Amino acid sequence: CKKLLDTQRQGEYNTDNYPYPGGAGPYDTYIFGAYKDLRAYGVHVFGFILATSIRSDDADKGSTAADGGADANSMDNFPVQPSNGIVNGMWTGYYGLITKCNVALDQIANNKDIVATDAQKMQSEAEARFLRGYAYFNMVRFFGRIPLFDKVLGPTELNVPQSTPAQIYALIESDLKFAAANLPISWDPKFIGRATSGAATGLLAKVYLTQKKWGEAMAAANTVMTSGQYDLSTPYDKIFGETGENSKESVFEVQATATPKEETAYGVQTTQFQGVRDGGVWNLGYGFNVPNSNLESAYEVGDPRLARTFLRRSTATTTYKTVYGENTATTWANPIYNHKAYVSPAFRAKYGYNSGYWMNLRILRYADVVLMYAEAANELGGTANTTIALTALNSVRARARNGNTAVLPDITITNQDQLRTIIHHERRIELAMEYDRFFDLVRWGESQSALSAAGKNNFNASRDNLLPIPQAQIDLSKGVLTQNAGY
Amino acid sequence: QEINVTGKVTDSATGETLIGVSVSVKNAPGGTQTNVDGNYAIKAPSNATLVFSYIGYTNLEIPVNGKAIINASLTTSNKSLSEVVVIGYGTQKKIDVTGSISSVKGDEIEKLVTTNPIDALQGKVPGLTVINSGIPGASPTVRIRGVSSTNNADPLYVVDGILQDNIDYLNPGDIESIDLLRDASSTAIYGLRGANGVIAVTTKKAALGKTTINFQSTVGVQHVTDRIDLVDAAGFKKLYTAQLANLNAAPFDYTNYTANTNWQDVLLRDAAINTNSLTISNNNDKSSTVLNIGYNDQDGVVRNDNYKKFIARINEEIKINKNIKVGGQLMGFHFRTEPTVASINNALWAAPIVPIKDPNGLYYTMPSFQRAQVGNLAYNLDRNSNTDVNRGFRFNGNLFAEIKFLKDFTLRSTVYTDLGFNNTRDYFPLPYTVVNLGEGTVPTTTFFDNTIKTSINQNSFESRKYQQDHTLSFDKEFNQKHRLNAMIGFTSVFLSNTSLFGSRRDTTLNVPNDPNLWYLNVINQNNPSSNSGGGFEESNVGVFARTSYAYANKYLLNATIRRDASSKFAPKNRWGTFGSIGLGWVASEENFFKDHVKDIDFLKLRAAWGRLGNSKGVDQNRYQQTLAGGDNAVFGDNVYTAVGNAYFPDPNLRFEVVQGEDLGLELKALNYKLNFEATFYNKTTDGILTSFTLLATQSENDYFTNLGNLTNKGVELSAGWNDSFAKDFNYSVSANFGYNKNVVNSIGNTSNFQIIGNGGVNLTESGQSVGYFYGYRQIGIYQTAAEVANSAAFSDSAPGDIKFQDVNGDGIISPLDRTYLGTPFPPYSYGLNLSLSYKGLDFIAQGQGVAGNMIYTQRRNANFAILNYESNRLNAWTAPGTSNVEPILNNARANNYLFSTYFLEPGDYFRIRNLQLGYTFGQDMLGKIGVKKLRVYVSGQNIKTWSQTTGYTAEAQIGSILGGGADNGAYPVPAIYTFGLNLTF
Repeated sequence: CKKLLDTQRQGEYNTDNYPYPGGAGPYDTYIFGAYKDLRAYGVHVFGFILATSIRSDDADKGSTAADGGADANSMDNFPVQPSNGIVNGMWTGYYGLITKCNVALDQIANNKDIVATDAQKMQSEAEARFLRGYAYFNMVRFFGRIPLFDKVLGPTELNVPQSTPAQIYALIESDLKFAAANLPISWDPKFIGRATSGAATGLLAKVYLTQKKWGEAMAAANTVMTSGQYDLSTPYDKIFGETGENSKESVFEVQATATPKEETAYGVQTTQFQGVRDGGVWNLGYGFNVPNSNLESAYEVGDPRLARTFLRRSTATTTYKTVYGENTATTWANPIYNHKAYVSPAFRAKYGYNSGYWMNLRILRYADVVLMYAEAANELGGTANTTIALTALNSVRARARNGNTAVLPDITITNQDQLRTIIHHERRIELAMEYDRFFDLVRWGESQSALSAAGKNNFNASRDNLLPIPQAQIDLSKGVLTQNAGY
Repeated sequence: QEINVTGKVTDSATGETLIGVSVSVKNAPGGTQTNVDGNYAIKAPSNATLVFSYIGYTNLEIPVNGKAIINASLTTSNKSLSEVVVIGYGTQKKIDVTGSISSVKGDEIEKLVTTNPIDALQGKVPGLTVINSGIPGASPTVRIRGVSSTNNADPLYVVDGILQDNIDYLNPGDIESIDLLRDASSTAIYGLRGANGVIAVTTKKAALGKTTINFQSTVGVQHVTDRIDLVDAAGFKKLYTAQLANLNAAPFDYTNYTANTNWQDVLLRDAAINTNSLTISNNNDKSSTVLNIGYNDQDGVVRNDNYKKFIARINEEIKINKNIKVGGQLMGFHFRTEPTVASINNALWAAPIVPIKDPNGLYYTMPSFQRAQVGNLAYNLDRNSNTDVNRGFRFNGNLFAEIKFLKDFTLRSTVYTDLGFNNTRDYFPLPYTVVNLGEGTVPTTTFFDNTIKTSINQNSFESRKYQQDHTLSFDKEFNQKHRLNAMIGFTSVFLSNTSLFGSRRDTTLNVPNDPNLWYLNVINQNNPSSNSGGGFEESNVGVFARTSYAYANKYLLNATIRRDASSKFAPKNRWGTFGSIGLGWVASEENFFKDHVKDIDFLKLRAAWGRLGNSKGVDQNRYQQTLAGGDNAVFGDNVYTAVGNAYFPDPNLRFEVVQGEDLGLELKALNYKLNFEATFYNKTTDGILTSFTLLATQSENDYFTNLGNLTNKGVELSAGWNDSFAKDFNYSVSANFGYNKNVVNSIGNTSNFQIIGNGGVNLTESGQSVGYFYGYRQIGIYQTAAEVANSAAFSDSAPGDIKFQDVNGDGIISPLDRTYLGTPFPPYSYGLNLSLSYKGLDFIAQGQGVAGNMIYTQRRNANFAILNYESNRLNAWTAPGTSNVEPILNNARANNYLFSTYFLEPGDYFRIRNLQLGYTFGQDMLGKIGVKKLRVYVSGQNIKTWSQTTGYTAEAQIGSILGGGADNGAYPVPAIYTFGLNLTF
């Protein structure tokens, strides 16, 4: 009887019989599970685009009027409903990623079956904590007060009240500091794009900047800038395409690829959501996240970055081109798309697919770090810091100018307030449509004025700076979780 | 003058000897009974009259007239008293049963036209809920006495002894009877498997001493009677224009959209159904044989849907000698199906303004506002139909040997096998060139998507089941007063399956549309491909014992015990001990009753208790931590294997325990013309197996644990009346009614989280029924800004929005105002039957209905694109006073999409289930051509349903327990008009 009853699950590993692979690293398969979640729908796809870009003054929802329904429309025009399914998907997506990190950390701390050196343990812990810190950093900026889980908890222990943003930031800083100290500065080419100390430090700079810890932010940015790993040598119009992936500009990217056999399984859908929408051969995606006239008018005259950001539909009288030289069509559903999310025709042909799942998602690039450095230096003030700020700022403008001395002159203004405005403007233009604008507006306290200026009149900063805590999560918690103010 | 009379008493129908028949001399005291061989001996005056009486049979009087041998042949007075029912690893006379067991005979099942025999049970038995599906060949959702688990509420099927999850493979024309074991005392013998009730099917057996050939055939047409009321093109334009105006958006350019297409016409059709069954049986002293072959062919009312079923069964029993019997059965089943590719919602959502095809035969795409989300249904049907080769084979059978020894003992061993092999080959053809109609400045274009290539999938699935049952029973009657049956047994069931899937896409060639080529091998192996494979193993072991005792047909006792184990659980939690006890009192057998109560022929009171386990729906080895494979991390263009925990395991996971009491009264009166049965039950499930979403994790990490306790209480009533108006004019009416109240006594009380279903629309919590509807209550529409300002409202409520009730009275509308809105599970169900016969002519009318549940019209709550409107939206609010029900046309007003009573409809319905008129030609008419009996009939099934629901079927979609009751475009349940014949040689 006993023998008959001892059946096992077929074709699935369990923790007792999984042959943890050697080679790459003993904990890698768990950590890779967390990396995989960076490509998850709830983490970096529709909700992410909506919350970071469409919510801002630079972009509109795009696509067709009704596509995405009330859930997507409300993230363009406010208020967002607590019942919003996309927001709930973000919540579960990010906590899924956090859980994977915690499971990996649990394996590192507690799995006696895995043989590993202390150095391997430290590095693996650093990698998991980098990913966890990144996840919490986005979550605290999306939602404000959120539950804090820093270890694997039993099912009945999971229902905890929200922590304050300060408590969340403390965890983020501790995770990213540990990661910065224990991650390698670079990886073997077969692991290109894996989290590095530069990525952790650069992200830490943004965490400090968000908390107005200017000195720490400046120091962290400086560490990245002096690491020798990054520079501004990549031309602006080469940064965003497939061939610009993991360049000297890249501090951290969500890695994605495809093969002619697997166009989507190794990819991320972020690009597809922003691809050109058309019923015909130009059907590259859903056409969300379109740059608007408010952003367009913010560009300085002749700024070459405009053309790399705005992908325009041709008209009967004017023919526009893509960055790859193709003439755009007149049949597109929208007049403008996000040019930075435009996939190259060569790669479309290579994979026999249009929707660009293979394009890496740029999370942190070097110009961002340089501009954070400039911003922090200007906020600290003083002659020396102002000079540092101007030098950093102008280095970004110099690259953008691309040899054309008639445009984007060097900035020489030293007045702190004026320079602040200029640096903010430079961030807006340099990083336009790169999923940071809404966070920048909120941390600068400019969200209300900017969104009103953009005509998003329902926006109310006291409520809409944060997303609502998903009602589904409040329900699941039987009210232990509480709603954000104003909802 | 007194002589000794002896003789044998037999059943007039079967010829079997009858044991315990009372034989007495008319108007004289005393008497005797027949012995185990059916023989009696009595002294009687030679001019006297003998009276033979036996429970369930009509009394027979035979004058002695000096004869020394008088054999009597008794006719059943009322079938249900002589009826034998399946009780698990054996049978029992219905009159000795102390639990709730109902039988439905094969001839009643044959009177409904269906390819799935369970369909025919709808409305027949109180306490049984059958939710039919119009999908050809599909299994209905079956619930016995409500839902006793939050996990899996499906009953156990037992077909000629073998345990099954469904009976989709059976020929509806090959069923002798179906017994429904409803209460815990009746199903306890099945241990861990029977807690949701048992449906025991007996296939046809050969009648003694006869060679019979029976052929049944029906030809019918299915028709959708209740279409969904969608707006036409004019209505669509009116509503969409209004909606765009409300959104302050530019008007849509309808210039090229001049069509008025009814997409339901594209979706639906009148569809043929044909069933055939041929049974040849023979039964003589030495052996009995049944051979059945069946063929069913059903088209779906949704276009291009088809299901064909071929069945052959042979059953053979050989009596080697008086004490040894061996036999076996082999059933072969084959199906071919062409499932439709049409999505019902596609027809409901497609804009009616779009023409189907242009003059050159090119299909149009939908307008830009829904092009990405909604396809041209005709295109989908045309391109993707007849591109599947979908076949299944199943062979099951058994071998048994039965040895009687020491007179009263019987040893029976049976081994069963059930093997299934399913294969599908799917072909994905190239797309067609389509026409995108011009809108505004965008011109009309034709388009061919050259990125899509032909591809082929191949899928194979193999399932295996091995079961063995061994029983030793003892059957004896003492002193003609005591009847004792005792049994012990051992059983085991082993289940396993293997699946394999492969897919390849051709990037250079177009695979032709020819089924002979639809194999992976036609595509070069270097092409894009994917494959997968998996398996499953499970075993169950049980030992059991049962005893039945009856004293003088008056006092009844049944008791069972079973020790049972399932491999699903950890070794420490595998085994459970279950059992039952039942008591019955046949009051009508008491002398005082016989003396004083004239009109009541039979009265039984019964009470039973049972306890059993339920392991249904639990994944194998769920107590262990399984790793989710198949994930990948990417660095550059390098892909690496990633793993994660598949879920959080509960190491203490165990089966749930169901315990129930059952009280019943059975009555037959007025010379068996009236029969009445009432049952009260109360069953409680403890340690309910529940899966729920953990907070702050992904849903794939659902947690599976034992949580809480729920009760189902109910009443089941059935009554019938049989009589004749005049000679040859017989009639009968019967009705049944069931009420079930489901209450969660506790769930999650030990945990601080909520169990939700269907995204929060359904809630399961203490004090309410499982999965009740939870949302806002509509009390009107805000007519003016002043009304919004003066009422409880959301911060962004505006005129034209749904006005919700401020349930908590805090002056605002917030999620705290959500409340109980109803249950998706019908608490009330009923059935009515009427039959009339005059000579050869017969007429049947059957009705069936439910009441008390709500249905969520989720299909109307989709707003991911501009979709076609149902005609209720023609009454949408446009200005103060225009509507107090239908909100403004504006899909950006998210409050109006919150789940509320606006999306609920009462689920009450009454349906004319079957009307049938038949004529039977007897042997007297057709005997010359060798026909014993021929019945021809016409019938109309489901021809009319009275309901307030707006979907294709009024039947609540309750397959999901925690998230039931939503109509997401449920498949139509059609009316079926049939001509049929039933021919016996």
